[in-house]
Amino acid sequence: MLQAHSFLWSYLWVAPNVFLLILGFLIWRRGLGRKMPAFLAFAVLSATGDIAAFLADVTPSVTAENYWRILWAGLLVESLLKFLVIGEVFSRLLDQYPAIARLGKLMVSGLGAMLVLLAALIAAFAQGDSTKSLISGAHLLEQTVFIIESGLILFLFSFVAYFHLWWDRVSFGVLLGLGISSFEHLATWAIIANASPSANVRTLFAFLNMATYHFCVFVWLYYLLVPQKVTAKSSFPPPDNNLATWNRELERFLHQ
Amino acid sequence: MILAIVLSIAAAVGLVIVLGTAVSRNLQLSRHSSSGKIEAIDVEAFRNLVDPAEDDYLRRHLSPAAFREVKRKRLRATADYVRVAAHNSAILIMTGQVALAEGDPTTVPAARQLVDDGLLLRRNATLALFKIYIALVWPSSGLAASPVLQGYERLNGSAMLLGRLQNPAVPVRISMVL
Repeated sequence: MLQAHSFLWSYLWVAPNVFLLILGFLIWRRGLGRKMPAFLAFAVLSATGDIAAFLADVTPSVTAENYWRILWAGLLVESLLKFLVIGEVFSRLLDQYPAIARLGKLMVSGLGAMLVLLAALIAAFAQGDSTKSLISGAHLLEQTVFIIESGLILFLFSFVAYFHLWWDRVSFGVLLGLGISSFEHLATWAIIANASPSANVRTLFAFLNMATYHFCVFVWLYYLLVPQKVTAKSSFPPPDNNLATWNRELERFLHQ
Repeated sequence: MILAIVLSIAAAVGLVIVLGTAVSRNLQLSRHSSSGKIEAIDVEAFRNLVDPAEDDYLRRHLSPAAFREVKRKRLRATADYVRVAAHNSAILIMTGQVALAEGDPTTVPAARQLVDDGLLLRRNATLALFKIYIALVWPSSGLAASPVLQGYERLNGSAMLLGRLQNPAVPVRISMVL
């Protein structure tokens, strides 16, 4: 059952993308596309690219080289869209908190530049797992993209936790799914690109990647389509506090 | 191989952090209140600790070695105050967010103000701690991070002023600096 091109293999390759296309359609129907245009584009284009790669894989007339070219194209588009989705989620989050929006944008820009440098450095030192540059290049690109993506997602979660911000349900769900997928894929691609595992292990990693992605699509379906539970209200006035006094003192201290 | 192991471990740690955050978010939503307790802190004592005149007085009347020792103690005490202030701000941010989520029109403006003030305080406390740690390493330097921090504050002041022009409901914090 855990063989390449088995029924389970085909299901795990195609089904999450079909679900993602359905999600994209429902997002568009419910008007969520205006709030999350990058995620809508990601859902539609990424799923279409993956299905195209699957069709190229199973169609005998498509050569191996052309299959890898299709995969490359899909990978480049998907990577760009994922970064747009991360940016979109961060903007949605910071728009609610103007007091720290500037700091957040400065930090994410600086971290993004550092991650690009780090990922490029790691790629430069990687052994490469194939004599064909088209294949090893694709694996290194996967690793590079997942390093940057994972770093940015980890930063966003840490930033939110440090400042005790509240996620809106949609942003949280989108980033949670993307986070689980990117950390799992980073681990497997790092091993594939640097440790030259056997063909059997690669096949198992492919199953793990596809199963994780399937799970993440369910996470997106849940958070984007199932409404949040309404909790009982218990209105109370905010407590007295001396935050303004402390801010004055700390700003004076920072200016010394 | 080493690279593969390092990246895999980093990915596993990252995944645990993200899942942990997800679980804590759900707990936060279900509890609907903050579990921490606000600790009272004395603003006057803090003001005294960071007063440059006090530093000048100590510098004039103590030997350089004694001054560095006293200065380090004062910096540690200052850091304690700032940490407590940051802790309090976190609790008040959560309190404000609960009120905001409930959406009662009578409390929303005050809750918004509370969240904004709390976030500013948490940000300022982080910068202040950064400045204190630098000064702890080099106590006789004055405060080495000042130019950087002042530059940041000026930048931030401009951003806040722009924010004020775009949205009059957002307070211009920088104008409160004495």
